[in-house]
Amino acid sequence: MVAIVMRTYERPVLLARAIASVQNQTFSDWELIIVNNGGDPAGVERVVSVARNTTGTSAITVLHLPDRVGMEEASNQGLRASTSQYFAIHDDDDSWRPTFLSAAVREFAAQPAAAAVLTGVTRVHETFKGGKVWPEKHENFPLDDSRLTYDRLIGGNTFPPIAALFRRSVLDSVGYFDSSLPVLGDWEFNLRAVRDGGFVFLPERLANYHTRTPESDRAAGNSITVGEDLHLRVKKELQERWDTEMESDGVSKGQRSREVEAEVAAAEARLRAEIAAAQRAGSQGRTLRRIARAVRHPRRTVRAVVRIVRPTAKW
Amino acid sequence: MSAAEVLNAHPNTRVLTVDFFDTMVTRTVAQPTHVFAVMEQSLLQEHGSRWAGVALARVQAEHRARMTAAKTDSLRDITIEEIAAELAIAMNLSVAEKLLVIASEKATEVSLAKAVPAGAAIITEAQARGLRVLIVSDNYMPASQLVNMAHAAGYSWVTAADVLVSCEHGGFKHNGVLWKKVLEVTGVPAAQILHIGDDHEADHVQPSKLGIATHIDIRMRHSHRDMHNTCPDVLALSRIEATQRDAMYESGWDVATALGDGLVGMVVAAQVADVMSVVKQRDVAGIHFAARDGWLAHQVWNKLRDGGVSLPPASYTAFSRSVIWRASLTELTPENVGRFIGEDEVLTISRLERRVGCQLSSLYRPDEEIDAQLARAVLLENDKQVAAAAQQLRARVLGYFEQQGLLKPGHHIVVDLGWTGSTIADMAVLINEATNGATTIEARLTGMYWDATPNRMRVSMHGYAMTEFESLDNNLRLLGVIKLLEALVTAPHGSVVDFADASQNFQPIFVETTPELIAYEKLMGRIGEAAMTSAHALVQGTHSSGVSVADITSTALWAAILQVGQSPRRDEVEALSIVRHVTSIDHEGDGTPLVASPPSSPKSFPQQQLPDLYNSLIHGHWLQGSLRSWSYGDDTRWIADEIGNRWPFMKSQWVSSPLA
Repeated sequence: MVAIVMRTYERPVLLARAIASVQNQTFSDWELIIVNNGGDPAGVERVVSVARNTTGTSAITVLHLPDRVGMEEASNQGLRASTSQYFAIHDDDDSWRPTFLSAAVREFAAQPAAAAVLTGVTRVHETFKGGKVWPEKHENFPLDDSRLTYDRLIGGNTFPPIAALFRRSVLDSVGYFDSSLPVLGDWEFNLRAVRDGGFVFLPERLANYHTRTPESDRAAGNSITVGEDLHLRVKKELQERWDTEMESDGVSKGQRSREVEAEVAAAEARLRAEIAAAQRAGSQGRTLRRIARAVRHPRRTVRAVVRIVRPTAKW
Repeated sequence: MSAAEVLNAHPNTRVLTVDFFDTMVTRTVAQPTHVFAVMEQSLLQEHGSRWAGVALARVQAEHRARMTAAKTDSLRDITIEEIAAELAIAMNLSVAEKLLVIASEKATEVSLAKAVPAGAAIITEAQARGLRVLIVSDNYMPASQLVNMAHAAGYSWVTAADVLVSCEHGGFKHNGVLWKKVLEVTGVPAAQILHIGDDHEADHVQPSKLGIATHIDIRMRHSHRDMHNTCPDVLALSRIEATQRDAMYESGWDVATALGDGLVGMVVAAQVADVMSVVKQRDVAGIHFAARDGWLAHQVWNKLRDGGVSLPPASYTAFSRSVIWRASLTELTPENVGRFIGEDEVLTISRLERRVGCQLSSLYRPDEEIDAQLARAVLLENDKQVAAAAQQLRARVLGYFEQQGLLKPGHHIVVDLGWTGSTIADMAVLINEATNGATTIEARLTGMYWDATPNRMRVSMHGYAMTEFESLDNNLRLLGVIKLLEALVTAPHGSVVDFADASQNFQPIFVETTPELIAYEKLMGRIGEAAMTSAHALVQGTHSSGVSVADITSTALWAAILQVGQSPRRDEVEALSIVRHVTSIDHEGDGTPLVASPPSSPKSFPQQQLPDLYNSLIHGHWLQGSLRSWSYGDDTRWIADEIGNRWPFMKSQWVSSPLA
């Protein structure tokens, strides 16, 4: 029923952990497709051989790509190698709580037209050194309904792939991931997918988004934390590409993206400035209280940001 | 004392005053703040995630409201409205939400209220004798709310005129103000009033100053823990402990029964339920509960099977870190010889021979004591004999595994407490090599911490209450309580140190030390018995608390582990002080105490040695229990406080699950 595509490249310790998070799902009707993106096949096979007999009624398939391809191409190859009603992109460094799939599939039963079901996310900061993962801390990854609309997503991606389970027929409606994109392919795909039924959000934090600290061995880095410049460049290119696509109100998609991005950035900057000012003043007054409220209730803060943007695009 | 005896002891009594909470009325949860956890649970169910964390916020709001009120009038009590106002600020509540939370708290209190047997009996006896009964309570709720709770608990006669509550009368019992009001309202001399309550200061010291006779009964307080441990995840253990409190009301509080029925029963039930869940998902060739941490679960598993529950058979399989490591040894080198001998150990040749399982040639007498360095040199001089003995042990271990069905081709489940999975990973390699890959192992562990990550490449592993994904702080909390859990979840036999040869069917050879035997006789055996009964009932859904395995989620189990491990009660720390943990490879010696003794000269203990002390506590003892124990002593309290300040995550405090 669920196909899980897991792209990996030379991170056997993290891969073993990621596979375990799939194996430990209370929902058992899944198929795991590991796409070894040009890495050493023997290393992946060693990890998979340990896990393979633990899959119960479902299966683990490994695709060894001879050469390294883009992340989105790797996802597409994994998806094309599978058949299912739903699919998830499970990065090899992330993990799920055991009830992620059961909760998401149950929600799909209630809302079958939705393009995706997402759950709350815990961001796990960890250091990877000497073949061991040292957890540092975790925090709530800010995600709620208001961040899952087209009007908000157009300004930038708001969630990591590990948070989402997609309806597979979305691929027939809006197409696969854009293989030409070296990064941000998930964002570009999400923007197409969200218009095919919308995203449903379950607040319970059932997905763990793991990021490595700067002290980690470089091979274990996140694509975002390691390749920040690349993300910025690709985002700019995407927005330029969208300049020729018109929204219903006559504003180009690229322009809308830049506007929302700027508004969100401005709101975040204001928040940061307020925090800095409050910290400087050591104030316990109104400002600090307002900030504390904003931190405690990110949903309201995001709503406020979205109100500033005043989106007009409809679908 | 019976109700009649209490009243007969005070023949001049004309008015009986009664403390309300835990004397007249209690709740079906273990401690007062858990009412807020129930409230959070219902608010989450009915009104969504907006209310996540309201229980702890409610506790903190009351604290802030009291601080604020004390600035202007230190004598008066606060009201539920003042608490709600603070909560509204903290959670940014609208007016409607503030009213909702007040109504929810009141409704929750009413739904959980139940009569305290002794209090009810004394009240009934007093009314039969024609005495006036007046409720006197230090509380932020109005009298009308106490009336509603009293009615819910079966005291249908109570009206608002029968209640004096601190928030409505400008002062507390514990500062004496409310007692003056009692004299005014009743209009009888103090000598004709008898008060029953559970608080030494409020219910005994203050009324006694005015000449009011008192009767104190603290039995309902046995189940109280730190008030900050309050979120819905604590409720599984809370309900069990509330049931224990009521069940042991007459017979007296027994800490062994409480620990066994509560935390240990939950751990064992979780072990069993986890395997039951796995066998529904996978085809398994065998299930094996590991000695000694799986003893209790194995017993429960078999009892369930005997009772007709459809479960596959499971073995109880003896292996230990030292046996598996020795069986895996192919060559003795200066690098690995250290694993046979601890840095500070003083050994004899005889003991060394038992450790490595072969005779050693040396210049020392068999009973002559030698230090670790010399002992290692002796082993290296005998490296070939040691390696040969290891290979012979390997053959015996595999012979035993064969008998246990562990070499049967297919997928096997091994159940253990955890914590790094390295021993099961080593065992999996042994078995994998012996069966040429035909047999695979999956470890089902109660808890895992960060060391487990690379072991996942050697064996499939799953943690139930805790995984290495959690924060470093939570990993360290788990490390601090590991020794406690290993001590609590144990078997009526010692560790396995060897196996007999083929002529004796490779039977495991267990050894146990005198301190272990004493602890088992005095405490652990009774804990184990209570745990097996509890776990069986939890799995069957027949536990008297109404809790079942469906309630023992991973976060609920983590909450239970922390409730006992991180913020233990004094009776638990004191009872567990007799336990010693034996970790030597030959399982000889007296081991180390679970609750560490403080430094010999605590007042002059150098601050710069605190990091070493912390390290020794977290690796060798139950750190949090040790600190709690030290906090009771005037001379040692500063060390416990200072370690708590330097490593704040190790304070005896409640920390909810990160996902709660």
